[in-house]
Amino acid sequence: MKPHFLFPYWCRYLGWGLVIAHVPMSIIGRANGMINPLDNPPTQSLFTGEHLFFICTSLVMALGLFIVAFSREKIEDEQIWHVRLDSLRWAIYINYLVLIASLIFIFDTAHILELNLWVPLIFFIIRFRWVIYRLNRSLSREG
Amino acid sequence: MKNNIRVERAIKNITQGELAEQVGVSRQTINTIESNKYVPSTVLALKIARVFGKPLEEVFMLEEGD
Repeated sequence: MKPHFLFPYWCRYLGWGLVIAHVPMSIIGRANGMINPLDNPPTQSLFTGEHLFFICTSLVMALGLFIVAFSREKIEDEQIWHVRLDSLRWAIYINYLVLIASLIFIFDTAHILELNLWVPLIFFIIRFRWVIYRLNRSLSREG
Repeated sequence: MKNNIRVERAIKNITQGELAEQVGVSRQTINTIESNKYVPSTVLALKIARVFGKPLEEVFMLEEGD
Protein backbone atom coordinates (compact mmCIF):
# COMPACT_ATOMS: atom_id res chain seq x y z
CA MET A 1 0.00 0.00 0.00
CA LYS A 2 1.38 3.37 -1.01
CA PRO A 3 0.54 6.10 1.50
CA HIS A 4 -0.32 9.34 -0.23
CA PHE A 5 -0.38 12.86 1.17
CA LEU A 6 1.61 12.14 4.31
CA PHE A 7 4.73 13.96 5.47
CA PRO A 8 7.97 11.94 5.75
CA TYR A 9 8.72 10.22 9.07
CA TRP A 10 11.31 12.81 10.18
CA CYS A 11 8.70 15.59 9.95
CA ARG A 12 7.21 14.31 13.20
CA TYR A 13 10.25 15.71 15.06
CA LEU A 14 9.92 19.02 13.19
CA GLY A 15 6.25 19.12 14.25
CA TRP A 16 7.03 18.51 17.92
CA GLY A 17 9.80 21.13 17.62
CA LEU A 18 7.26 23.70 16.42
CA VAL A 19 4.82 22.78 19.21
CA ILE A 20 7.57 23.17 21.83
CA ALA A 21 8.96 26.34 20.19
CA HIS A 22 5.62 28.12 20.46
CA VAL A 23 5.81 27.98 24.30
CA PRO A 24 8.83 30.32 24.79
CA MET A 25 7.60 32.54 21.94
CA SER A 26 4.25 32.84 23.66
CA ILE A 27 5.84 33.57 27.07
CA ILE A 28 8.27 36.15 25.65
CA GLY A 29 5.51 37.80 23.60
CA ARG A 30 3.13 38.05 26.53
CA ALA A 31 5.94 39.35 28.77
CA ASN A 32 6.45 42.11 26.19
CA GLY A 33 2.80 43.06 26.32
CA MET A 34 1.63 41.25 23.18
CA ILE A 35 -1.99 40.18 23.16
CA ASN A 36 -3.32 37.31 21.13
CA PRO A 37 -5.76 38.80 18.59
CA LEU A 38 -8.21 36.09 19.62
CA ASP A 39 -8.25 37.60 23.13
CA ASN A 40 -8.90 41.05 21.74
CA PRO A 41 -10.70 42.36 18.64
CA PRO A 42 -7.95 42.31 15.99
CA THR A 43 -6.73 45.37 14.17
CA GLN A 44 -7.49 45.44 10.47
CA SER A 45 -3.91 45.80 9.25
CA LEU A 46 -1.64 42.89 8.41
CA PHE A 47 1.76 42.19 10.00
CA THR A 48 1.29 44.40 13.01
CA GLY A 49 2.96 43.22 16.23
CA GLU A 50 -0.13 41.39 17.40
CA HIS A 51 -0.73 39.81 14.04
CA LEU A 52 2.84 38.49 13.95
CA PHE A 53 2.50 37.33 17.55
CA PHE A 54 -0.59 35.34 16.56
CA ILE A 55 1.28 33.75 13.64
CA CYS A 56 4.29 32.90 15.84
CA THR A 57 2.23 31.26 18.59
CA SER A 58 -1.20 29.86 17.78
CA LEU A 59 -0.51 29.17 14.12
CA VAL A 60 2.95 27.68 14.75
CA MET A 61 1.45 25.33 17.31
CA ALA A 62 -1.45 24.37 15.02
CA LEU A 63 1.01 23.79 12.16
CA GLY A 64 3.24 21.68 14.46
CA LEU A 65 0.31 19.54 15.56
CA PHE A 66 -0.81 19.18 11.94
CA ILE A 67 2.63 17.95 10.87
CA VAL A 68 2.85 15.54 13.83
CA ALA A 69 -0.61 14.15 13.06
CA PHE A 70 0.08 13.58 9.39
CA SER A 71 3.64 12.27 9.40
CA ARG A 72 4.26 8.73 8.24
CA GLU A 73 4.99 5.94 10.67
CA LYS A 74 8.24 3.98 10.20
CA ILE A 75 6.22 1.17 8.59
CA GLU A 76 3.04 2.68 7.21
CA ASP A 77 0.99 -0.40 6.38
CA GLU A 78 -2.73 -0.99 5.93
CA GLN A 79 -3.41 -1.51 9.64
CA ILE A 80 -1.85 1.87 10.44
CA TRP A 81 -4.09 3.37 7.74
CA HIS A 82 -7.06 1.73 9.38
CA VAL A 83 -6.09 3.11 12.82
CA ARG A 84 -5.43 6.52 11.25
CA LEU A 85 -8.85 6.70 9.63
CA ASP A 86 -10.60 5.43 12.73
CA SER A 87 -8.82 8.01 14.92
CA LEU A 88 -9.72 10.73 12.43
CA ARG A 89 -13.37 9.71 12.60
CA TRP A 90 -13.32 9.89 16.42
CA ALA A 91 -11.53 13.24 16.29
CA ILE A 92 -14.28 14.64 14.07
CA TYR A 93 -16.98 13.27 16.40
CA ILE A 94 -15.33 14.84 19.45
CA ASN A 95 -14.67 18.09 17.61
CA TYR A 96 -18.31 18.50 16.63
CA LEU A 97 -19.48 17.50 20.10
CA VAL A 98 -17.23 20.19 21.62
CA LEU A 99 -18.21 22.69 18.91
CA ILE A 100 -21.94 22.18 19.38
CA ALA A 101 -21.66 22.25 23.19
CA SER A 102 -19.55 25.41 23.11
CA LEU A 103 -21.88 27.12 20.62
CA ILE A 104 -24.81 26.42 22.93
CA PHE A 105 -23.18 27.28 26.25
CA ILE A 106 -20.40 29.77 25.42
CA PHE A 107 -20.89 33.07 23.64
CA ASP A 108 -17.21 33.72 22.99
CA THR A 109 -16.78 32.86 19.30
CA ALA A 110 -13.10 33.85 19.10
CA HIS A 111 -12.16 31.24 21.69
CA ILE A 112 -14.39 28.66 20.05
CA LEU A 113 -12.35 29.21 16.88
CA GLU A 114 -9.10 28.79 18.83
CA LEU A 115 -10.43 25.62 20.43
CA ASN A 116 -11.27 24.28 17.00
CA LEU A 117 -7.70 24.83 15.84
CA TRP A 118 -6.47 22.26 18.37
CA VAL A 119 -9.19 19.87 19.48
CA PRO A 120 -9.37 17.64 16.38
CA LEU A 121 -5.60 17.45 15.99
CA ILE A 122 -4.84 16.85 19.67
CA PHE A 123 -7.55 14.24 20.02
CA PHE A 124 -6.44 12.54 16.80
CA ILE A 125 -2.80 12.38 17.97
CA ILE A 126 -3.73 11.06 21.44
CA ARG A 127 -6.08 8.40 20.08
CA PHE A 128 -3.72 7.33 17.28
CA ARG A 129 -0.68 7.04 19.58
CA TRP A 130 -2.72 5.26 22.23
CA VAL A 131 -3.87 2.55 19.78
CA ILE A 132 -0.31 2.10 18.48
CA TYR A 133 0.97 1.89 22.06
CA ARG A 134 -1.61 -0.83 22.78
CA LEU A 135 -0.61 -2.74 19.64
CA ASN A 136 3.05 -2.59 20.66
CA ARG A 137 2.21 -3.66 24.21
CA SER A 138 0.25 -6.70 23.03
CA LEU A 139 3.17 -7.57 20.77
CA SER A 140 5.72 -7.44 23.59
CA ARG A 141 3.40 -9.44 25.86
CA GLU A 142 3.22 -12.24 23.31
CA GLY A 143 6.93 -12.02 22.64
CA MET B 1 -12.82 -14.55 9.65
CA LYS B 2 -10.32 -16.91 11.21
CA ASN B 3 -6.95 -18.03 9.94
CA ASN B 4 -4.24 -20.55 10.57
CA ILE B 5 -1.23 -18.34 9.95
CA ARG B 6 0.31 -19.48 13.23
CA VAL B 7 0.18 -23.13 12.12
CA GLU B 8 1.45 -22.32 8.64
CA ARG B 9 4.31 -20.33 10.14
CA ALA B 10 5.24 -23.24 12.35
CA ILE B 11 5.24 -25.60 9.33
CA LYS B 12 7.40 -23.20 7.33
CA ASN B 13 9.43 -22.38 10.44
CA ILE B 14 9.36 -18.59 10.06
CA THR B 15 8.79 -15.92 12.70
CA GLN B 16 6.15 -13.18 12.66
CA GLY B 17 8.90 -10.70 11.85
CA GLU B 18 10.11 -12.70 8.84
CA LEU B 19 6.59 -13.09 7.48
CA ALA B 20 5.96 -9.37 8.03
CA GLU B 21 9.10 -8.52 6.08
CA GLN B 22 8.16 -10.80 3.19
CA VAL B 23 4.71 -9.27 2.77
CA GLY B 24 5.82 -5.69 3.52
CA VAL B 25 3.90 -4.92 6.71
CA SER B 26 4.83 -4.42 10.37
CA ARG B 27 5.11 -7.25 12.89
CA GLN B 28 2.18 -5.74 14.81
CA THR B 29 -0.05 -6.26 11.78
CA ILE B 30 0.84 -9.96 11.47
CA ASN B 31 0.33 -10.33 15.22
CA THR B 32 -3.14 -8.76 15.18
CA ILE B 33 -4.17 -10.81 12.13
CA GLU B 34 -3.03 -14.02 13.89
CA SER B 35 -5.06 -13.14 16.97
CA ASN B 36 -8.12 -12.36 14.81
CA LYS B 37 -8.16 -8.72 15.92
CA TYR B 38 -7.63 -7.37 12.42
CA VAL B 39 -9.03 -8.56 9.09
CA PRO B 40 -6.48 -7.98 6.32
CA SER B 41 -7.28 -6.59 2.90
CA THR B 42 -7.64 -9.01 0.00
CA VAL B 43 -4.22 -7.96 -1.34
CA LEU B 44 -2.47 -8.66 1.97
CA ALA B 45 -4.34 -11.96 2.45
CA LEU B 46 -3.26 -13.08 -1.04
CA LYS B 47 0.35 -12.08 -0.32
CA ILE B 48 0.34 -14.08 2.94
CA ALA B 49 -1.14 -17.15 1.21
CA ARG B 50 1.51 -16.86 -1.50
CA VAL B 51 4.31 -16.91 1.07
CA PHE B 52 2.94 -20.22 2.37
CA GLY B 53 2.39 -21.51 -1.18
CA LYS B 54 -1.24 -22.37 -0.42
CA PRO B 55 -4.60 -21.27 -1.81
CA LEU B 56 -6.25 -18.43 0.10
CA GLU B 57 -9.03 -20.64 1.49
CA GLU B 58 -6.50 -22.87 3.23
CA VAL B 59 -5.06 -19.95 5.19
CA PHE B 60 -8.17 -17.82 5.77
CA MET B 61 -11.63 -19.21 6.49
CA LEU B 62 -15.02 -17.61 7.02
CA GLU B 63 -16.64 -18.12 10.41
CA GLU B 64 -20.27 -18.53 11.39
CA GLY B 65 -21.83 -15.10 11.28
CA ASP B 66 -19.44 -13.63 8.70
